[in-house]
Amino acid sequence: PTGDSWGIFTFLCAALCNLPALPALNCSEELGTSQSIQKTYDLTRYLEHQLRTLAGTYLNYLGPPFNEPDFTPPRLARAERVPSATVDLDLWRGLTDNARLAANYRAYSRLLCYLRALDGQAGTAELRHRLGHFCSSLQGLVLSIAGVMSSLGYPLPAGPLGPPAPPGTPVAPNDFLKKMDDFWLLKELQTWLWRSAKDFNRLKKKVPPAVVTLRLEARGF
Amino acid sequence: RPPRFPFPSSPSVSPAADPAVISPQDPTLLIGSSLVATCTVSPESHLRAEDLYWTLNGRRLPATSYTTLGPTTLSVALSRLNGSKQQSGDNLVCHSRDGGILAGSCLYVGLPPEKPVNISCWSKNMKDLTCKWAPGAEGETFLHTNYTLKYKLRWYGRDNTCQEYHAAGTYSCRIPKDLALFTPYEIWVEASNRMGVAVSDVVMLDILDVVTTDPPPDVHVSRVGDLEDQLSVRWSSPPALKDFLFQAKYQIQYRVEDSSEWKVVDDVGNQTSCRLAGLRPGTVYFVQVRCNPFGIYGSKSAGIWSDWSNPTAASTPRSERAAGGCDPKGGEQNTTLRRELKQFFGWVRKHSYGCSNLGIKLYDQWRVWLQKSHKARNQVGKDPSA
Repeated sequence: PTGDSWGIFTFLCAALCNLPALPALNCSEELGTSQSIQKTYDLTRYLEHQLRTLAGTYLNYLGPPFNEPDFTPPRLARAERVPSATVDLDLWRGLTDNARLAANYRAYSRLLCYLRALDGQAGTAELRHRLGHFCSSLQGLVLSIAGVMSSLGYPLPAGPLGPPAPPGTPVAPNDFLKKMDDFWLLKELQTWLWRSAKDFNRLKKKVPPAVVTLRLEARGF
Repeated sequence: RPPRFPFPSSPSVSPAADPAVISPQDPTLLIGSSLVATCTVSPESHLRAEDLYWTLNGRRLPATSYTTLGPTTLSVALSRLNGSKQQSGDNLVCHSRDGGILAGSCLYVGLPPEKPVNISCWSKNMKDLTCKWAPGAEGETFLHTNYTLKYKLRWYGRDNTCQEYHAAGTYSCRIPKDLALFTPYEIWVEASNRMGVAVSDVVMLDILDVVTTDPPPDVHVSRVGDLEDQLSVRWSSPPALKDFLFQAKYQIQYRVEDSSEWKVVDDVGNQTSCRLAGLRPGTVYFVQVRCNPFGIYGSKSAGIWSDWSNPTAASTPRSERAAGGCDPKGGEQNTTLRRELKQFFGWVRKHSYGCSNLGIKLYDQWRVWLQKSHKARNQVGKDPSA
C-alpha cells in the first residue's frame, strides 16, 4: 500500500537527514539513497558476522552431527517453507533491482518470523540473549531494505509476509525434524546474507553519491 | 503473485513422506537405563535392513549391537546410558549405507530434579527482593530444568510467581515491587524437567531482616596535617535509607598500592568518619567503605552488608626523619629513645587499631611531647657535659 511506503520513507528521511519530516519527494532524494544503501550493506555484513557466532553456539546446542563442519542433512519437503537462497546466480543477476530488492525484503521478513519462533524456552540464557539481539538487528535490516526501496521509488511487496502455514500447523512433528529445520534456517540465512552483501555492493555503485551543499543552499538553509 | 525461484539441484529433496520411522521417537530416559530402538524404512525408499546403520551424537554404533527384525527394520541396543551430551537431546540417527540421514530421534537422558537448596534473599533499600538458590543435584543439568520461584504472604492465601529470572546469576530471581514490610513472606523454588518436579523447603523471612543498601557515597580520604602515618576517611550515609538508618554499621578496608592484602577496620560503629593510624609514611593507600543497615524499623537481624564503595586513593606524607639523616652526636640517647619508641609504638598500634578516639588523642599528645623532648635532647647532645 502506498501509504505505508510514504510513511517509511518519511521516517527514514527524518532519521537520515535530521530534517523535519517533509512530504516532498525531493527533500533528500539523492542524499538519502546512497547513504541508505551503504547502511544496508553495512548492516548485512554486521549480521553475517553476528550469525557466525550465533550459528556456532546454536549448532553446538543441537549437538553432533549438527555442529560438524560438512554436515548436510536432507532438505525435507516440509522444510521448503524457509526461503531458499541457493539459486542460479545468472538468473539472480538477470533480475531487475526492484525484483531483487523485493525478494530480499520478503525473504528476510519470513526468516525473521522463523527465527523468532525458535524455541525460546530451551537453550542457555546466553543463547536466548544472542538470538534476541540478532532478531533485533535483522528487523533493522528489513526496515533498511524497505527504506532503500522507497527512496528508489519502488513499492513495497504486498501481501502477508509471515510463514504461509496456517496457525494450527505444528512446527515439526518430532524433535529431530525440528533440529533439521533449525539447521536449514540458519544455513539459508547465511546464504541470503552472503548474497545480499553482493547485491547492495552492486547497487551502491549504480547510485551516485549526492552533492550535499547544493541541496541545502537551494532550500535556503 | 511474485515470481518463484527454482530450487537447488542438491542436496537431495526427499519425497513428501518421511523416508524412515524411528521408535521410540524422542523418549525420556533415566541415566543408566537401556534402550532398544528400531528404524523402519518406508517401501518407497527401496532400502533394506542390511543397508542401514546407526549413529549416536555423530559416532557410529557398532554393528554388534544391531539386530535385523524384518526386511525393512533394523534395531540397535543401547545400554547403561550416560546423561545427555546436550540439553537438546542426544541425536540417535538411522542412516542409509551412503551416509544419508533417513530419520532421527532425540534421547533425553537424565534424572528428575531434586529439591533446590540454599535459598537466600536480600532486599535493596526495601524496594525489591532478589533470591538465589542452588540446584539440588548435578544430574539436573543433563536435561533442561525449569526453576520457578514462588512466594506468598504468610497469612494470606495467594501464591505469586516471580518473573524476572537471572537477576543475580543463573539461579536467581527478582521481585521488583509491591513488597509488604512487617509481614513474613513464605518463599520456595520449584524445579521441573521432563522427568519430574521437586519443591524446595519453604523459607520464611521478613523483608526488614534482609535489607541491604548501596555503598556509602562521597568517600573522601585525606591527610591529617603532617602526620605521616595517619589518614582521615569521611563518607556519607547511603541516601536511599538515610531517613531510616539509625543504627547502621560501617566497615572500612584499606591496602597499600602494591599489595592485594586488605586490612579491615571493623568497629567503626555508626560514625561517618574514621582515622586510620599506624600507616606507612609516603605510601599510597586504597580505601573502601561499606554499610550494613541493620536494625531498620527495629529489626533484630544482622542485616546484609552493601558492596564496597569504589576504592579511593590517598597518600601519607613522606617521612622527614629520613631526609634529616642521623645525628651521630646523640648516639646513646638515640638508642634509649629508640627502645622507648618501640615500646610505645607497640602500645599505640594495639590501641589505635580501629577508630578509638582515646588512643588517637593520647598518641597526638605523645607526638607533641616527643617533638619537644627531641629538641631538648638535641640541645643536651650539643652540651659536652650532659
